[in-house]
Amino acid sequence: MKIPTVLLSVVISGFLISPAVADCGKVTIADMNWNSASLIANVDRFILQHGYGCDAELVPGDTMPTGTSMVEKGEPDIAPELWSNSLKAAIDKGVAEKRLRVAGKSLTDGGEEGFWVPQYMVDKDPSLATIAGIKAKAKLFKHPEDDNKSGFYTCPAGWNCQISAGNLFKALKLKDDGFELVDPGSGAGLAGAIAKAFTREEAWFGYYWAPTAVLGKHKMVKVDFGSGADREEYMTCTTSAECENPKVTMYPPSLVETVTTESFARRATEAFGYLQKRGFKNAQMNELLAWVEENQADGNIAMEYFLKNHEATWQPWVSTEVAARVKKALAGL
Amino acid sequence: MAAARPDTPYEMEMVMAVENWLTTFPEMERADLIAIRKALDAGYRAFSRSYGDLIESLFDPLLYFLVWFEKLLLSTPWWLVILIVVGLVYGASRSPKLLVGVAVSLLLIGYFGMWENTMRTLSIITVCTILSITLGIPIGIMMARSDRTQAVVTPVLDIMQTMPAFVYLIPVVMLLGIGKVPGVIAVVIYAIPPVIRLTNLGIRLVDKEVLEASMAFGATRRQRLWGVQMPLAMPTIMAGINQTIMMALAMVVIASMIGVKGLGQPVLKSITNQYFTMGLFNGLAIVTLAIIFDRVSQAYARRTQRHLQGNAHG
Repeated sequence: MKIPTVLLSVVISGFLISPAVADCGKVTIADMNWNSASLIANVDRFILQHGYGCDAELVPGDTMPTGTSMVEKGEPDIAPELWSNSLKAAIDKGVAEKRLRVAGKSLTDGGEEGFWVPQYMVDKDPSLATIAGIKAKAKLFKHPEDDNKSGFYTCPAGWNCQISAGNLFKALKLKDDGFELVDPGSGAGLAGAIAKAFTREEAWFGYYWAPTAVLGKHKMVKVDFGSGADREEYMTCTTSAECENPKVTMYPPSLVETVTTESFARRATEAFGYLQKRGFKNAQMNELLAWVEENQADGNIAMEYFLKNHEATWQPWVSTEVAARVKKALAGL
Repeated sequence: MAAARPDTPYEMEMVMAVENWLTTFPEMERADLIAIRKALDAGYRAFSRSYGDLIESLFDPLLYFLVWFEKLLLSTPWWLVILIVVGLVYGASRSPKLLVGVAVSLLLIGYFGMWENTMRTLSIITVCTILSITLGIPIGIMMARSDRTQAVVTPVLDIMQTMPAFVYLIPVVMLLGIGKVPGVIAVVIYAIPPVIRLTNLGIRLVDKEVLEASMAFGATRRQRLWGVQMPLAMPTIMAGINQTIMMALAMVVIASMIGVKGLGQPVLKSITNQYFTMGLFNGLAIVTLAIIFDRVSQAYARRTQRHLQGNAHG
C-alpha cells in the first residue's frame, strides 16, 4: 500500500506543480497599507502562487508591527517593501541572529524623503524651493490653529520619521521664523492635509516621502537645505531621539528592502531567488501609482495591470518556465 | 436529461448566460463603477474648492473658543484646576469619598507626566459634551413630539453610530484641514446619538395618565413639556448624557488621528511602537477622566431626582 500512495502523491504534486518547488508550502506576505507596498505584495503573491507553487496568503501589515513580528515570531514570511532605516537595529539583530534575511532592494533607487512645498507655489516664487526662501516667507504658511504662527506639517506621531523631521526642524531653526510642528496624527491625516491644500491651491510645507500616490498626483518640490546629504550625521544623530545637537542634512535615499524570515529563505530557495531580483525603479513606481490612483484600483487589480502590461519588467526576475506558468495563470484571470 | 440538453447554439448561449448569472453575482461593470466613484470624488473636490473657505470661516468662532479654552486650562496652575474640579465634584455629588478619589487620581496623572495632555483632552471633551447636549436634547424633544421626525432621525442616528469614523473624517479634513474643529465634529457625530435617543425614549415613556391629568388642569404644551415630561424623563435623559460622555472619551484616540492634541497622541505613538506601558498609562488617564465625568453626572442626576421626588411628595 505504501508505494502506490507515495507514487500517487508524487504524480499529483507533479501534476499540479513541478516537484522542485513543491516544498515552498504556506507563505504569508505582509500587505502594508500603502499602495506601492500593496502592489508589490500582490505581485509577489501571484508569482509565488502560480510560478513557484507556494500557498501564498496576504496578511495586513505595517512597518513597525510587521518588522517586530518577523523578528520576534517569525511571522509573516515576507515583508515586500520594508523601509528598513526606520527599524535598522531590529533588522540587523534579526539578521545576525539568523531569524531574518534581506533578499534585496524592492525600490532600487531607494525611498525619497524630504520637506516639500507644492509646485504651484514654486512656480510663483522660485525662492521657495530653498529653505532660505521658506524661512524668509514664513508668514505664507499659516498654522491651522493660530494665525500668528506658521505651520510645518511633520510626520505622524509614533512614526520614526517624526524623530528625524523633528531633529531637522530643530537644526534648521524653523522655530525662530515662527514655525511650529503640526502633528497630523496619522498618514491619512497628513495626506488629507495635502489634498486640502491642493484643491484650494493653499500654501503647504511639510514632510513627505516618495514613491507615493500622493506625490504622484500632487506635484511637489523637495526643498533644498543647501547642505547635501550627510549619511553619517543622518544615521547617528538625525534619526536618533537622543540627538542633542542635530545638524542640517538632506535625507539620504532610504533603503527599501524585501525582508524574509530565515525559515522561508531556507525552505523556498527558488522563490527567495525571485525576491532577490524583484525591484522597481522610482520613476516606474510613480507611474504605476498614478495609474492606481487614476483608476482607484486596489492592490489586486494593480497587480493584474502590472503583470499584463509590463512583462518586460517582471520577466527577468524569474526563469522562463516560471514566467510561462505565471503567464498561463494570468490568461485565466 | 436529454430533454434539457440545448439543441441550437442560441439555446446553448442562453443556458451559459443563465449559469454564469447563477454562479457569479451579476456585478456592475468595473469601468462604470470607477466612473461613478471618480465622478463623486471629483464632485466633492469641486465642492470643497468652492465652499471650503466659507465653511471653514463659519467654524472659526468654534475654533477660537476651543483654542482659548485649551489655553485657559493649560495656563491655569495645576492645583487650581484640581481644586475647581474637586469643588465641582463635591458640589454635584456631596460625597467625600468621590472627592478624595478624584483628587488622588488627578494627582497621579500629573505625577506620571500626563498633565498637559489630560488638560487638552479635558478641554476638547468638555466642549464636545456641551455641544452634544445642547444639540441633542432639543433634537430628542422634537423626535418625541412627532413620529415623522422620529422616522427620519432614527436612521440618521444609526448611520452616525456605525459608519467607520475615517469614512467621514478624511472628507472633513479636506474641507476644514486637520486639527481641533474636524476632531470636534467627529467626536460629536459619534457621541451625540445616545442623548438624542434616550431623550426621545424618556419623554415617550412618560405615563399617558399623568399627561392627561396635567391637561385636565389646563397645562399648555410648553408647561406639559417642562413641568411634567422633562422632569419625569430626567433619569433616562441623564443616562443618555452619561453614555454621550463615555463615547466622546472613547473617540479621543480617533480624533488624535487627525491632529487633535491630547491623550490620544501618546496612545497612537505607543500603538505604532509597541510601548505597552506608555499606552496603558495614557489609556488609564482617559479612563480616569471618564470615571470623573461619569460619577459626577450620575451623582448629580441622583441628587436632582431625590429633590424632584421630595417635591412630588411635598
